[in-house]
Amino acid sequence: MTKVIALYNIKGGVGKTSAAVNLAWAAADEGARVLLWDLDPQGAASYLLRIRPKVRGGGRKLVRGKSDPATLLKGSDHELLDLLPADFSYRNLDLALDATKRPTRALQRVIGPLAGDYDFVFLDCPPAISLASESVFAAADVLLVPLIPTPLSLRTFEQLSGFVAAEVAKPRPRILAFFSMADGRKVLHREIMDALTATAGGAVLGAVIPAASDVEKMASRRRPLAGFAPRGRAARAYGALWQELRPRL
Amino acid sequence: MDVRATSLLLPDGVTASAAAGRLAALVAVAAQRAHSVDRTYWDTFDGRLHRAGRALAQTADRLVLMDAATHAEQASAEHRAAARRLLVGDLPPGALRERLAPIVAMRALTPLARVRSRLLPIDVLDDLGKIVVRLRVEEPAVVPRGDGKLALRPRLHVRGVRGFDDDFDRVLAILTSQAGLREAPRAVLDDAISALGGTVGGTPSKLRITLDPGQRADAAAVTILRRLLDVIEANTPGALADVDSEFLHDLRVAVRRSRALQRELRGVFAPEPLGFYRDGFRELQALTGATRDLDVQLLEFGDLAGGLGDGAGADVAPLRRLLERRLVAERGRMVAGLRSARTRALLAGWREFLDGLGDAPEDDRPDAARPIADVAAERIGTVYRRMVKMGRAIGDDSPHEALHDLRKKGKELRYLLEFFSSLYPPQVVRPMVATLKDLQDVLGRFQDREVQADLLRALGDEIAAMGGGAAALMAMGVLVERLAEQQAEARAQFAASFAQFAAKPQRRIVAETFG
Repeated sequence: MTKVIALYNIKGGVGKTSAAVNLAWAAADEGARVLLWDLDPQGAASYLLRIRPKVRGGGRKLVRGKSDPATLLKGSDHELLDLLPADFSYRNLDLALDATKRPTRALQRVIGPLAGDYDFVFLDCPPAISLASESVFAAADVLLVPLIPTPLSLRTFEQLSGFVAAEVAKPRPRILAFFSMADGRKVLHREIMDALTATAGGAVLGAVIPAASDVEKMASRRRPLAGFAPRGRAARAYGALWQELRPRL
Repeated sequence: MDVRATSLLLPDGVTASAAAGRLAALVAVAAQRAHSVDRTYWDTFDGRLHRAGRALAQTADRLVLMDAATHAEQASAEHRAAARRLLVGDLPPGALRERLAPIVAMRALTPLARVRSRLLPIDVLDDLGKIVVRLRVEEPAVVPRGDGKLALRPRLHVRGVRGFDDDFDRVLAILTSQAGLREAPRAVLDDAISALGGTVGGTPSKLRITLDPGQRADAAAVTILRRLLDVIEANTPGALADVDSEFLHDLRVAVRRSRALQRELRGVFAPEPLGFYRDGFRELQALTGATRDLDVQLLEFGDLAGGLGDGAGADVAPLRRLLERRLVAERGRMVAGLRSARTRALLAGWREFLDGLGDAPEDDRPDAARPIADVAAERIGTVYRRMVKMGRAIGDDSPHEALHDLRKKGKELRYLLEFFSSLYPPQVVRPMVATLKDLQDVLGRFQDREVQADLLRALGDEIAAMGGGAAALMAMGVLVERLAEQQAEARAQFAASFAQFAAKPQRRIVAETFG
């Protein structure tokens, strides 16, 4: 059964794209067939994989079922990882979705025919809470939420959990969080991580992604960590995160 | 969603690094580090993976299913090398097992050849530095049992990347037109098997014989019977070693087909030596029958016991043990018989007899020199009409034997159509085979359920004496009842299947074509 994992947070700049790319790569490295859909109009995941952020026919045709998604896929530099690239038109995805029947099911309809070819589908989602995010919630088995250990991030996590519980139809995705861009030297970071881990029960994964320069270098190298710093602290942390996440999918 | 791929032969004497150097002058490439890979290729005896265009390779710790020509990986699993044979059911659940199961089915995989290759991966990059075509120079050498190795033709595997088809076309055009490389006519594995003196593509038991309508009937019979004897001999070692149940099955089918032809074309042989060989083949068939019946019982045991529902499935465990015990005993008897001087002499004598038939006197072989198309048509027409007559005589009160006899005749007709289909128009043969197959399915189910139920009844006393025998006996009672129901269902379907087979338009076509 294909598992759909959406990297999601209402806030931007929390490490969604880095996590999506590195986790997808880690899964492919284990022999799984993986698809990454770059839903963010900024196209950062596409950029990191050196693939032009362009989709023939744009987002509107795709979500309306007028484009065959299989023809839009691009192979990455990993033989088992494919990308459905970003497109600048995704900035208007809400409008395009609004014009479809049952818009919250639109992304599921795109993924459906591809699912048999992949073991895992990762969605790199834009920040915000919108019609597109609701469609993500309907398509995903797991919402994987990167959290920077600050009081405000915690608040947004609570908002998200509340929203999904109250507004999203069943079957709802499971919400799992992990700490991202964490600085173990900061007392505040450590306290917040301890507090949330204690209160959120099993919803917070133990692996922590550090605030590391390697992660920033991904943008200049245009490669996942495995491509240039496979043994670094950050690469090891993503590896540990995938090992922890996979059995829970 | 496989990506495009092909394999090109490199000119003799071109090393991997020289090839990489030449490529770098033609396209933007990044060569990776060369490495060696030691692969043992596996396939079924009848070459099912080869026919499906796949290759299955065992490396140190992985079993990899790939495209045979391009080596594009399709599925893999962690796996340590099996000793001599591997069944799909032995593999862990996952993509590899799912992909292999429909191709390989119940056949065992056995090792074919060990190939050690030096691989040099070279990536073709676009202006963003992204890989758009993957090239792999392979310098393979086959490793025979014992020492040494034999170098095989080096080649360049070219594999596209999804969504970058234009780059694949561009690179392939450069490699073929500018570098003058040609597509490899055969996969590395096929080269390896040839170098070892083996048969590329395995040993299928299918006949695939094309005859000339004007050919002498005795020559045509010899062609078919020789091929059947090849199948018997090719499958004997696997049947003796019990590599999988299909060896014995294919051996038995070839014996049965031989017997059908001995009987149906008896006019091309002198009666006396033929009588001797017909007796010998009948004994050979009987020698292998009990083992095959038990093989089938055990192959179908899961389905049979599964139908019993929760709990009761476990109750029949003593039955399974008993069947396995019986199989061991029967197999021992069969192996001794197949290995006996008598069987060896029978098969060697039969081959000698076939080889000499062309020169034998024709006084008592009235059909020998007639065109095969005439003789075969007569036989097909006669057997068909005989079946129609037998089937029409079957009513609701007819004994089971009447249906069993009709099935036997049906097998003969089926074999005649298989042997001689190349002599007649496909539009005549195909519908005839289709309606015959339907009828045979119904008759086969009718008889098989009876055989299974009889076997269960015969085992009752022995089961009762075993530990857990009482529960097993009760479960077997349910099984026998279920088999009787299925037999009754098949009986009810007979009239409709037979009506199709013996329908007027079909009878007319048979009369027009076969006389």
